[in-house]
Amino acid sequence: MKYQEFFEIAKEKGLTSAQIILSRSKATTIVSFNKSIDKYKIADDQTVIASGIYEGRYGSCTTDHLEKSTFPWLVDQIIKAAKTNGQESKIDFFEGSPKYAKKNVFKKELALKTPAEAIADLASLEEMARAKDDRITDFMAEYMYAEDYRELYNSKGLNLRNKSNYYLYAASAFANDGENKKSWDSLIWGNDLATFSKEKMVNEVIDGLFKQFGAAPCKSGQYPTVLSHDVFSNFVEVMVGSADAESIQKESSFLVGKLREKVASSKITISERPLDKNQLFTSFDAEGVARQNRDIIKKGILQTYLYNRETALKEGVETTGNAAYRGGKIATAYTNLVVKPSKKSFEEMIAPIKEGVYITTIQGLGTGMNETNGDFSCQATGYMIRDGKLAEPLTLITLGGNVLKMFETIKDIDSKREFLPQGIVCPDVYIKSMSIGGK
Amino acid sequence: MISKSLIFAILNAALATGADYAEIFYEDTDSEALKLDNGIEEPAAINKSNGLGLYLVKGVETAYGYTADLSKKSLLSLAENLAGRFSGERLFTVTSIEKKSHRTVTKTTDPVIEVPLEEKLAFLKRMNDGAKDYDPRLIRIVVRIASSTSTRYVVGASSETAFLSKDVVSRARFSAMAIAKDGEDVETGYAAPGITGGWGYLTEHFDPYEVGKKAAKKAVVMLGAKECPSGRYPVVIGNGFGGVLFHESCGHPLEASATAKGLSVFSDSIGKQIASPLVSAFDDGTIPGAYGTNNIDDEGHETQRNQLIKDGICVGFLVDPVNGRRINTESNGASRRESYQYQPTSRMSNTFIDNGKDNPEDIIKDTKLGLYIPDFGGGSVSPATGEFNFSATEAYIIRDGVISEPVKGCTLIGRGAEVLLNIDRVGNDLEIAPGTCGASSGMIPVCVGQPTIRIKEITVGGRGGKLE
Repeated sequence: MKYQEFFEIAKEKGLTSAQIILSRSKATTIVSFNKSIDKYKIADDQTVIASGIYEGRYGSCTTDHLEKSTFPWLVDQIIKAAKTNGQESKIDFFEGSPKYAKKNVFKKELALKTPAEAIADLASLEEMARAKDDRITDFMAEYMYAEDYRELYNSKGLNLRNKSNYYLYAASAFANDGENKKSWDSLIWGNDLATFSKEKMVNEVIDGLFKQFGAAPCKSGQYPTVLSHDVFSNFVEVMVGSADAESIQKESSFLVGKLREKVASSKITISERPLDKNQLFTSFDAEGVARQNRDIIKKGILQTYLYNRETALKEGVETTGNAAYRGGKIATAYTNLVVKPSKKSFEEMIAPIKEGVYITTIQGLGTGMNETNGDFSCQATGYMIRDGKLAEPLTLITLGGNVLKMFETIKDIDSKREFLPQGIVCPDVYIKSMSIGGK
Repeated sequence: MISKSLIFAILNAALATGADYAEIFYEDTDSEALKLDNGIEEPAAINKSNGLGLYLVKGVETAYGYTADLSKKSLLSLAENLAGRFSGERLFTVTSIEKKSHRTVTKTTDPVIEVPLEEKLAFLKRMNDGAKDYDPRLIRIVVRIASSTSTRYVVGASSETAFLSKDVVSRARFSAMAIAKDGEDVETGYAAPGITGGWGYLTEHFDPYEVGKKAAKKAVVMLGAKECPSGRYPVVIGNGFGGVLFHESCGHPLEASATAKGLSVFSDSIGKQIASPLVSAFDDGTIPGAYGTNNIDDEGHETQRNQLIKDGICVGFLVDPVNGRRINTESNGASRRESYQYQPTSRMSNTFIDNGKDNPEDIIKDTKLGLYIPDFGGGSVSPATGEFNFSATEAYIIRDGVISEPVKGCTLIGRGAEVLLNIDRVGNDLEIAPGTCGASSGMIPVCVGQPTIRIKEITVGGRGGKLE
């Protein structure tokens, strides 16, 4: 087996089981700003997670080196960490699932683009944008190409690997509305270059930028509120993250006691799809368990919590294959969330709203969210909705609410299904009423 | 550190196509975090990070690359690939390296990471007890101590003789998170001091029991709190971590990474009034023991005490060498990065509003109806628009000059340029508090700070209707 020497040293030093996860990511990033190259970055990241069981306790360490000379050090650190562990491990390392999905998501053609071609793409994005509207004061564009490799080996003989690559293009335009500077961004990433359209990106940036001119706060109050798919995706992440079984078992989540209960409007179905054929495809989790596509919320009902093998054992259920390494131990994570869209257009969805608010950006949810009880408050921008149509732009407003209540009072969703940067596909949603702070 | 001959080879390969500056950043960092979750020891998180970043500059254009593969082949390949970014003739060849000395504002002989685990676990248990003893309604207590020692070398070459700077910095941050529950009401409290220094300094200046108690108190106080009213009204912000307001609303927009490209609301503000005349502010990377302190910045230059605002007038930016070229200003020891994986740029260190003349009690006493916020969870800002937000983790209504009922779910939003002008009282109780600041060059340790201040009117978001 690869790294056989590591496993031999581990055994010699008294580890009863051991595992190595090696992640390598190579990326080139180019950023242009006002017609010159502002950043040119070549990244070569390597992360090694070495773990083992010593005297019945789990320990681990991370580093960016995996050479033979580091093996004794890695094992010593695993032992040191295991000695600090106050609990005996109830599970051993995993021997393997019966079957792992196989998909080739590494697209060789993505690697063929040269830096010079990418720089030409960035220049043409800027030229097209400035040609369309000469009020643009500054323009920034970014290209990135990345290759990711992940391998897992353990002393039970498990040997798994994934390989993927993707591209990213982003653009930001800036302009001044006479009083304040405004900016708008557009970003696309994926592993199919055919999905990238310069024209579409430029149009999105320009449309988003100039529609904000003259934005002001609205009056504080309760409003029917529409969240853009981009904004809503942040709350989808909070909702799914709160289904972490360890947080549930430690009573630190607002989803405690909600399994197979209604946690959202019946219009909401959220699934986790790690096996979809895109750059996020991953066939195994951090314990080597085979990943599966599954519904997390179906027609508003919470279908499952997210388990690793240890938290699953505590409840006598099967792991959901969501194990992820975090902060010295195995926690959980999710990959590629999809919120099922409706067939309604955005215009049809907002048509019944007499006076409401459409939120297009939020800031500060990271610190404004109480993940234990789901209460949140954050900064927002967007537009008024008047008589079923978008009206004047809004800025410097706040959006406040509670995640559970928000999901339960979703009145409608539209048909949007764009792949967002954080790996979520979701529509715009219309919420019955939310608290908006402004004038 | 890599060999001297390899340093020459890397720099000279990198400079082959006309870059006028090449810089090697070599880092070897050990870190460790210990945690008790409800009193039970969790396995330690142990990490070693060892790699090299290579930075090339030609005029104001840059190229940056990094790797943990420290073989000669890998490093020369990185240098050649980065050199490919430019096309031109070599300007010079590096033939010698001179060691650059620096004054010492922080030196640690007893790094926390080297303290026996048993001592640190005993420290955590005291912190856990401080929270646990406070109130029976606490359902979860998580205490943690994270420490690191980082050795960093910078070799910078703008001529035949390169300079070499080296520094070793040790830090520690410890935290308590407490969750309290009463019926359906669940609230969280958090406290997290941090230092640059060693175990002796830490144990001399902090009582872990009190840190645990502080987190517990915050969680318990918020149980039963009503929702915060929304609208525009006076807000008194407490000293210490309240300074995150200045950090977000003014500190980030004064970083040359934003101002030099004309992307900050303060780009053209030197010599202009940007704050109330009551406000003077500094960024000081030299405060002994403070979490954002360094002897040298991450491009090898001595850190400084930089005045940003004097009596309301903008007098300086935080400047890294490349952005300094854009605005024709000397860099001032403010170039920072999280690790070798990040291109350095201008960042804050310990940033604070200086003391004013008011007694903090008088500021409260003179506020008829408003909000008092002693602590924030954090915030963010868009330097381009200056629009910021902060979330309070502890807040109270002030009624007739008295701190009254607690309220929850408060967010402050506004534009930096407007809020700084709206400060109408500045106290004399300056304190600084640690935090972790995230921006383009990664997550870095900083301090924010201020005395108690009052903003005469600011937009407050919350779900509690109108303030009455």
